[in-house]
Amino acid sequence: MSMSKKYWRGLPELHNSTEFQAQSKNEFAEPLPIDEFLNSNEAETSGTSRRDFLKVMGFSTAAVALAACETPVTRSIPYVVKPEEVTPGVANFYATTFYDGHDYAAILVKTREGRPIKIEGNDFEGISFNHGNARVQASVLGLYDGARLRAPKVKGQDATWKTADETVTKALAAGGNVRILTSTIISPSTKAVIADFTAKYPNTKVVTYDAISYNALTKANQNVFGKAVVSSYDFSQAKVIVGIACDFLGNWIAGEEFSKQYAKNRKVSKTNPEMSQHFHFESNMSLTGANADYRYMVKPSELGKVTAALYNAVASATGNTSVSVNTKIENEEAEKAIKKVAQKLLAQKGQSLVVSGLNDESVQTLINGINKMLDNYGKTVDVENHLNFKQSDDKAFADLVSEMAAGQVSVLLTYNTNPVYTAPASLKFAEAYKKVKTKVSFAQVLDETAALADVVVPDHHYLESWNDANPKRGLYTLQQPTINPIFAQPRNEGTRQFQDSLLKWADVKSDYLTYLQNQWNTKVLPLQTTTTDFPTFWAQSLHDGAVVVNETAAASTAPASIDYNIAASKATSIKGGGLELFVYEKVGLGNGNYSNNPWLQELPDPISKVTWDNYITMSPIDVKKLGLREMLRQDIDGSIVDLTVNGITIQVPVYPQPGQAPGSVGLALGYGRTAETLKVANGVGVNAFQFLGLINDTIQPIATNVSIAGTKQKHRFAATQIQHTIMGREEFLLREVSLKEFKENDKTYWNPPVELTVHGGGKKHVDEIDLWAAHPRPGHKWGMSIDMNLCFGCGACVVACTAENNVAVVGKEEVSKTRDMHWLRIDRYYSSDVTKEYQETTSGLLDTRQMYLDMENPSANPQVTFQPMMCQHCNHAPCENVCPVMATSHSSEGLNMMTYNRCIGTRYCANNCPFKVRRFNWFNYNGNEKFADINPAQQELGRMVLNPDVVVRSRGVIEKCSMCVQRIQAGKLDAKKSGQPLKDGAIKTACQSACPTDAIIFGDLNDSESVITKERNDDRSYFLLEDIGVKPTISYKVKVRNQDEQIIFHNKSAHKTEAHEEKHS
Amino acid sequence: MTVIFTAFIFTSNLRAQDGEKLFKQNCAVCHTSHTDQMLTGPGLKGIFDRAPKGDWLKKWILNNEKLIKSGDAYANKIYTQYGKAAMSVFEGQLSDQDVDAIIAFMKAPLPVPAPDVVTTTTGGGATAEVKQGIDPLYLILGGIVILAILLGALRSVRTSLQNSVNRTEGKEENPEITFWQEAKNWMSGNRRLVGVFCIIIAFVGMKGCWDACYKIGVYYDWKTQKGYHPEQPIKFSHKLHAGDNEIACQYCHSSVEKSRHAGIPTVNICMNCHKGISSGPQYKEKEIAKIYEAAGFDARKGIYVDGKQNPISWIKVYTLPDHVYFNHSQHVVVGKIECATCHGDVKSMTTVEQKNPLTMKWCIDCHRQTEVAMEGNAYYDRLHKALKEKYAGQYDVKFTVEKIGGLECAKCHY
Repeated sequence: MSMSKKYWRGLPELHNSTEFQAQSKNEFAEPLPIDEFLNSNEAETSGTSRRDFLKVMGFSTAAVALAACETPVTRSIPYVVKPEEVTPGVANFYATTFYDGHDYAAILVKTREGRPIKIEGNDFEGISFNHGNARVQASVLGLYDGARLRAPKVKGQDATWKTADETVTKALAAGGNVRILTSTIISPSTKAVIADFTAKYPNTKVVTYDAISYNALTKANQNVFGKAVVSSYDFSQAKVIVGIACDFLGNWIAGEEFSKQYAKNRKVSKTNPEMSQHFHFESNMSLTGANADYRYMVKPSELGKVTAALYNAVASATGNTSVSVNTKIENEEAEKAIKKVAQKLLAQKGQSLVVSGLNDESVQTLINGINKMLDNYGKTVDVENHLNFKQSDDKAFADLVSEMAAGQVSVLLTYNTNPVYTAPASLKFAEAYKKVKTKVSFAQVLDETAALADVVVPDHHYLESWNDANPKRGLYTLQQPTINPIFAQPRNEGTRQFQDSLLKWADVKSDYLTYLQNQWNTKVLPLQTTTTDFPTFWAQSLHDGAVVVNETAAASTAPASIDYNIAASKATSIKGGGLELFVYEKVGLGNGNYSNNPWLQELPDPISKVTWDNYITMSPIDVKKLGLREMLRQDIDGSIVDLTVNGITIQVPVYPQPGQAPGSVGLALGYGRTAETLKVANGVGVNAFQFLGLINDTIQPIATNVSIAGTKQKHRFAATQIQHTIMGREEFLLREVSLKEFKENDKTYWNPPVELTVHGGGKKHVDEIDLWAAHPRPGHKWGMSIDMNLCFGCGACVVACTAENNVAVVGKEEVSKTRDMHWLRIDRYYSSDVTKEYQETTSGLLDTRQMYLDMENPSANPQVTFQPMMCQHCNHAPCENVCPVMATSHSSEGLNMMTYNRCIGTRYCANNCPFKVRRFNWFNYNGNEKFADINPAQQELGRMVLNPDVVVRSRGVIEKCSMCVQRIQAGKLDAKKSGQPLKDGAIKTACQSACPTDAIIFGDLNDSESVITKERNDDRSYFLLEDIGVKPTISYKVKVRNQDEQIIFHNKSAHKTEAHEEKHS
Repeated sequence: MTVIFTAFIFTSNLRAQDGEKLFKQNCAVCHTSHTDQMLTGPGLKGIFDRAPKGDWLKKWILNNEKLIKSGDAYANKIYTQYGKAAMSVFEGQLSDQDVDAIIAFMKAPLPVPAPDVVTTTTGGGATAEVKQGIDPLYLILGGIVILAILLGALRSVRTSLQNSVNRTEGKEENPEITFWQEAKNWMSGNRRLVGVFCIIIAFVGMKGCWDACYKIGVYYDWKTQKGYHPEQPIKFSHKLHAGDNEIACQYCHSSVEKSRHAGIPTVNICMNCHKGISSGPQYKEKEIAKIYEAAGFDARKGIYVDGKQNPISWIKVYTLPDHVYFNHSQHVVVGKIECATCHGDVKSMTTVEQKNPLTMKWCIDCHRQTEVAMEGNAYYDRLHKALKEKYAGQYDVKFTVEKIGGLECAKCHY
């Protein structure tokens, strides 16, 4: 088998320069400092003689030996009165809700001895949004953030609550305008608290402002349906999906929930060979675009035209009036595609979905119009069962800022928002803010806004709070504390919940818990029919974390007719520039709420694989055109340029990004924090929020007045993965097939068995050629299957793995030396088409370099494959037989075990690992000063997040994925104790439980009824690098793209294998 | 060597002795017998002076409700005085003789508690020896020194005798040579013997080093020939609690069947009993007062004071390194291992002593020998069948922990 594609992990490999080739043959990617060490004349000048060295050696050996002989006194301090539900050593789970104004998730919190240590999804029946993204997974670390405020501040000084309350109530009582600036509140009880507050201070007005605004969605729904809400979407019902700059698998509204729905239509098997088809038009290479079946590059200013063109194509076919605007765009391929896309949509009326991520009212109105014409409302998109997120009112925010600037606001309360950092530069928020008489911030850390505030009344962390949420019509969830407030009397003045502060100032004599219970008693209890007894209802709701109720729909007044022409002319009115900027969210940092979280900073961007940075993403074509550094090798630096947007100039590095629309650049939000107490985030990257623009009364991520000037400065990126090569083994690593081929052919065509030529002629399956006898697995035989069709690269599993296994954070400098520690990485492969003729005229790998050069053009818009990669737990593991001290060995259950205390750090195993999944502890990350700020394990507080069931590794040892052996052992023990056979699904690895799409399946292969056995026997199942005979425990499933083109060509198969072998002999 | 003789004080008043037992069983939870300390009920010191004479006390003990209802003035007075808290009715539980015995016990002066080392089984007058051992190492060293002195003395005697013989025979005196030179001369004459001796010493030394390596980090007190047995902040005696009073291990170490940790009892578990028992046989109130301090319990008033709680900082005796995962519930529930298998006869230990070295060798030795309790546990069915097939035809095969992978690294290290 061979494919019509070439795969490459990064531009260095695509260009395949001689340096890169030479370098890829090295044992380790980074240069070893041997020469440096030997050539330094430090030894001659230093006063340390050989004698001194021996003395010190002798002394330290003796000291170590002596110290080891004495048992140190270990103290053990039991509770005085043990809480009934706590058993030391046994985890408790509490259902609660994550919401920070940006992301929402119904979750379970795992606590050990009263400390929350891990976030899991809440699998309560009927609940949606129950899988947290990477930020939700990482939020538990935020609880132990040393930057959190421990006391209120008045005029920059620590104060008592009494002083803070007096200062605020005095200011409130003085009259004058009171404004509450908040991100979207989805808690009905909090809204009631604010209503009580407003009743007490009638001059109060609430302004909702989200840092990343979705105002256009609510406005468009108001225009078309008379309801200012965000529709709910059901991607699982959509057979054809069109996304226009809409990152719905990543950050758009509720990425993990949409991924779950989207995945339902991507599970292809021989018995059900149907899947949805996904077309995507965008400027930046987004996570969603990377997963689309067809992706088209369009400049930001032309995205409106694409929408209008699609509107016209659908309108003309459905007998509606077209809009008369100019829809001509630069990319002809994309323009041509619109017609084809429209036909596909029309063929699936009522089972299609068009979504756009543009925060432009007119574009969203057109999108509503398209979905209406396609009869999608009530099916794939539902304005009745609306979502309650993203209620930002950008115009009200702009009005507030001018009100503030005019000195008309006397008290401003900011809750869950950081406008000094996030507001567009054009609004000049910080200046206006200074004119407010009394500025009150509820921030948990001294962020940019809180630093300027007069009074800071720190809110609890969400894991310490009581609250409720109403994310969607008919769904109510509760938030309960999983730990007592960490900062509390007598050691600290302490934090206080936002709602309690408001209640206090409003003179309501009730704490928020009682208030919340009253609200639920009067408002939520009547909505359901299960019980009428409130205590029962409350206890049950708290246990489940959620209640599903019948709620009446909000009344609406839909306008009789809508003139889409106005919308269309507005949508196409943005004037394009020579270079355009589209700012975007990363799946790691999002809107920057959690930029002080080192787990998220170190999570590689799924597309660029860069950590600890933001940068301009630029098409390689433009990079070349502008004469900037092309980063042809991973240790070659990138350029730093002067980026000028609307008159503001900043310096920012440039990262060549295949898939970026030529003529456009991207820049990620959430970086460039300036708050001094945020030790992790401060100074990382640049702030892109300032480039947001207020266009047509909504805050839009597009800027067209952009120029770039090169500088002589260089920038070193800390990117993972691009240092590796595939070594021409794509058919053994990545198997892909188009849906057409998948349907028309059987397994031998698109997933052929791996056969090797044997001596004396003939071929044998690799399983028959074996040096070793099979190892018996009498009890369990663990196995894992990863479906490449369902992995969208969101990275939630990577953070979950970090949290579960105490994986160390190493920081930017170490990552740039390829010393990242992640046990699980998501490999991202680009691939570009090679024509069939090309396949036939070339002779395989010998012309690789020329072939890659020829691919330069298609490589501008490559296809992307995500492949989660962790220890493959090979049954004939090459790492095991090179270890001189038996520190890595194999278990009778099929796990490749790693014993840290035996490891002496030779790194032979890492060298011999074909998958490069073994990680070496170059430093004692948990003790070395260098990592003090970024490594949670080094702080008294941060240490509390560590999983007590997993060892914290020290310097000089190798570590790697253990397949969550602590969970396996715990699951087995539960079964043994109850005297029952182990149930399939009782044990879930951390990555598996974090995955919203069930791309990762784990289980016992000796159990013939288990899901993993079925997955393993599926036609799509294959092993990575099966030809080398290491017999991995983890299998992957062939990726199927819903394309009509041919991907596989069989004629070159033999030729390629030979070339491949030649190279390695 | 010192020998301490102790005597058990034997009271002839058998009735009072029975009474003591009965008092402890029935009354001590709420009353103290010889102090005025208030527990749930008042302390009973001076009860015979304040209560009406005659058989009032007996009536009260047997059925206080009846006495109150009968309108007895003193009964009603104390009933209201102590907040109308009801006392149990003992009629039917205690006979007249029992009550008499209790009263006799209360009347008699409090028996002087026996000192520490007492063997009650032998009745009275038992003796016990406490050895203060001398380390055999010192004995050997002393012996060597004496031998060396003897050798030196004999040598000089021999030289002077030889010289005097030489003198009388008119021969030349032997040249004065040092002991070391003479030893060297002897050694050069007996090279083979010295060589063998050196090899033996080298081997013994290496074996010693090797053995010592196994014990690195293993505490052993050469002086007392005991394992690790630190002095705890409270002189808690397992012998008294688990041995004499036969309290089950799980009563205090309650999480042993649920968790990886057996659990050190929390103070409120101590208080379950010690709310009523404020004095112990050896240290009296002194040690138990430490529990009260930890619990924030005001023993005089019999109430807990909020905010006065102080956790007790016990010293861990059995400490495993961080890189070892050990689960008590696995061994106790699934493996059905007795506590004493690893912890020794705790019931006889006054201060707990580490009885086993907790080395990996020790763990593995046990895993090699211990059979897995597979019968009757459905979890093991499939594995059991597979093993039976594997070892079919071989007799005397034990399905030990080793056979099911109990020696694999990741069973304990992760």
